Amino acid sequence: MRLTSLGLVRGLIGYAVGLLLGMAVVVVSRLLMGMSVWEAEAAWVGGIIFAVIGFLGGVGALSDWLKWTRGAETPLLHGPPADKPAWTRYFGVDYNHKVIGIQYGVTGMFLLLIGGSFALVFRAELADSGISFLQPGTYNTFLSMHAWVALAAILLGVGGMANYLVPLMIGAADMAFPRLNAFAYWINVPAILTLLLSMLFGWDSGWTAYPPLSLRGPVGYQLVFLSIFSIGLSSILGSLNIIVTMLMMRPKGMSLFRMPIFCWAILATSLIQLTATQLIGQAFLMLSFERTLGMPFFNPLYNAAGENIGGQPLLFQHLFWFYSHPAVYVFVLPGLGIISELLPVFSRKPLFGYRWVALSSLAIALVGFLVWGHHMFTSGYGEYLRVVFMISTLLVAVPTGVKFFSWLGTLWGGRLTFPTPMLFTLGAISVFLIGGLSGPILATTATDLFLHDTYFVVGHFHATIFGGFVFPFFAAIYYWYPKITGRMYDETMGKLHFWLMTPGFWLMSLAQMTAGTMGMRRRIADYDPALGVENVHLLVTIAGFVIAFSVLIMIYNLFTSAEIGATAGNNPWRSRSPEWQIPSPAPEHSYARPIAVVGEPYDYGLAGSKYIASMGAGDD
Amino acid sequence: MLKLPQSSTDRKHFVIVGALVLVVTILLGFALLAILPVKAQSSVQAEPIRWLFQLHIWLIAFLFALVSVFMFYALFVFRRRKHDTSEGEHFEGNTVLEILWTVVPLVLVVIFSFIGLQTLQQTTSGGDDIRVEAVGFQWAWTFNYPNGVTSAEMVLPVNKPALISLTSTDVIHSFWVAEWGPKQDLVPGMRTQLHVTPTEVGEYKLNCAELCGLTHWNMVATVRVVPEAEYTAWMEQKIAEQNIEVVSR
Repeated sequence: MRLTSLGLVRGLIGYAVGLLLGMAVVVVSRLLMGMSVWEAEAAWVGGIIFAVIGFLGGVGALSDWLKWTRGAETPLLHGPPADKPAWTRYFGVDYNHKVIGIQYGVTGMFLLLIGGSFALVFRAELADSGISFLQPGTYNTFLSMHAWVALAAILLGVGGMANYLVPLMIGAADMAFPRLNAFAYWINVPAILTLLLSMLFGWDSGWTAYPPLSLRGPVGYQLVFLSIFSIGLSSILGSLNIIVTMLMMRPKGMSLFRMPIFCWAILATSLIQLTATQLIGQAFLMLSFERTLGMPFFNPLYNAAGENIGGQPLLFQHLFWFYSHPAVYVFVLPGLGIISELLPVFSRKPLFGYRWVALSSLAIALVGFLVWGHHMFTSGYGEYLRVVFMISTLLVAVPTGVKFFSWLGTLWGGRLTFPTPMLFTLGAISVFLIGGLSGPILATTATDLFLHDTYFVVGHFHATIFGGFVFPFFAAIYYWYPKITGRMYDETMGKLHFWLMTPGFWLMSLAQMTAGTMGMRRRIADYDPALGVENVHLLVTIAGFVIAFSVLIMIYNLFTSAEIGATAGNNPWRSRSPEWQIPSPAPEHSYARPIAVVGEPYDYGLAGSKYIASMGAGDD
Repeated sequence: MLKLPQSSTDRKHFVIVGALVLVVTILLGFALLAILPVKAQSSVQAEPIRWLFQLHIWLIAFLFALVSVFMFYALFVFRRRKHDTSEGEHFEGNTVLEILWTVVPLVLVVIFSFIGLQTLQQTTSGGDDIRVEAVGFQWAWTFNYPNGVTSAEMVLPVNKPALISLTSTDVIHSFWVAEWGPKQDLVPGMRTQLHVTPTEVGEYKLNCAELCGLTHWNMVATVRVVPEAEYTAWMEQKIAEQNIEVVSR
């Protein structure tokens, strides 16, 4: 097998060629226009745009569409490539949603490890006061990239769950637009390369990239803008695909209120992604234009009288948070859906208040659009806005509360068992509770004016994301591992992972919040020992390393169990969901015959009830 | 050993859980207040912040207790026993309960909005007996008094309402003296302000709370809150010093 037969390798070559070509185009254009030949900013922007396209061309994500322009036939190929080992399909363009789901999930997990490692680097530095090994510039770069890489990891993780599970859960053969699906995954890869490449230049404004600071930094900023723009494009195309799939490809009898509840969470998530993502793309494009072309959007300029005739820095914050707040719900809604999906299975009971849980996802998504200004309480915008955004933010508590209480109602009176996925589900509830309950104290403006930009916010945010994404994501990985691989993970290692990670995380959250109330600002490379937070920081660092170690146990578990794990069987959890009624691992064509929905999804404990039936050749 | 009822709707469960929620709320409330010491306590504007923070802590303690006690009780009582292969009780929801736990939080939201509005007014208001301009730039501070005095440290008389006018000459910074409570961003091209009435004599650190580049962590200035007589003396000395400089030029 030749190395270049791997799409990924061809993509990387395309990236390198595109980078040089793009730079050459810029250099030649400048030469022809009589400008100075080399200007790093312009050259890199041109280079990266060509590099991303070069990658997509190289990997083959554009091939079928190009063939369409010639009117060529492009049949959908099924199964692993004929002349190559089966694993190679994961390293190239493949249109099967299960392959793409795995590609998303594994890339997301990989990025989670990288993003987490960045955190370990600066947590080690913060374990005591004084600068020991990480210089402030490098510190700021690691801090900022921890955020960006972790956010990309979460988006990919969400994409992984949605792509793998939604078509299976609604009994669809695949996604509505398989080629678009592959494109939406593959554009992430050059984007991530670009993101990591930007670290060479340094980045010191945190992930929020507020101008004017972000207008002054090194050329690496342009790389991040283009990278996030590409990842955003992936979000928009992916969510469009999911929405169409979910609305158009459900089987006979599956009304919206008979979908597995995870699908509702993904529907709400996709609606946010489809409508809000353009705002961050726009905001970063404007930053990019201001830097390369000098368009004065955000940087103030003064006339002789000292009046500002230039841009307005706060405009960026509005655009940025109009996406970046709803984005938090993109991160957590799928996880909350996983919790709602798994609790009935391990309680052997119906999901309590299915419709309320389903609609609360939509309610959270809707309210999520109205709260962006709570990130700007201290920014100096209109006084009255502090009140408006306080009230809208407090409202988020209502649909979130519905979810918590419905989960309790699901557990109540069940026959509970506690294998690893259930443990992580319960861990998710406990951690999300910490994150959720530390929210209102930041929503009421007066307390936020004190807590804003402190470690209290760091604690709140990480509890929300771990409770809403990381714990449920791990629960999902353990839960669907048998469906993906056909084998069972090691239960002992799974439980060890849980019992290290969960208390570790509780400790980390609380310690971060303590540091915050004691006056510890976020995003600082060093702190004053007079604050008295050294021991608290040491605790955070130790807890962080414990969490990291526990995740390594999971990785080891997943790798080894794929080889030596016990054969899982088709439905080890006795779930009613469609994907568990087919063989494990899920076959190339998931459903041999179309399915029909004949009952409610979560009627555990109701004798004789069925959720789905397989349709015979003649039925319709 | 207490014999627990089998049916999940037996009133006995709810009596036990209710009592546990009460106990856990009280224990947790005090524990949280102990591990979350609010540093803001040296200004008039810090008072509403501390008060509201404590109110929140008690609500948090109650809600945390409510959810976690119900959850852990359920995990213990409704766990599958050995050799039990039966399914859970079949009930799909309860509309009255759903409405209840939608409406009660809504009422709480209204109450907290009202309290939030009042505390916001208290923490962002005050007089302007003393006026100071604080200018932030990468990575230091300058303070200008209306009489033309310029200083690298900020000196304020105790118990006198001060209005600090804020601006930045380069990127966004944020003015924060943790002991005083509220913080306020400094935005280039804009003028923002912060009311503070310091109530305790002492030396404090003014920090930048908005990431502003390379040495953001060290963008610090000394703030001294002194008795009024000492403030007047300091001001006179500054005027003398700076007049001398002006004359000698």
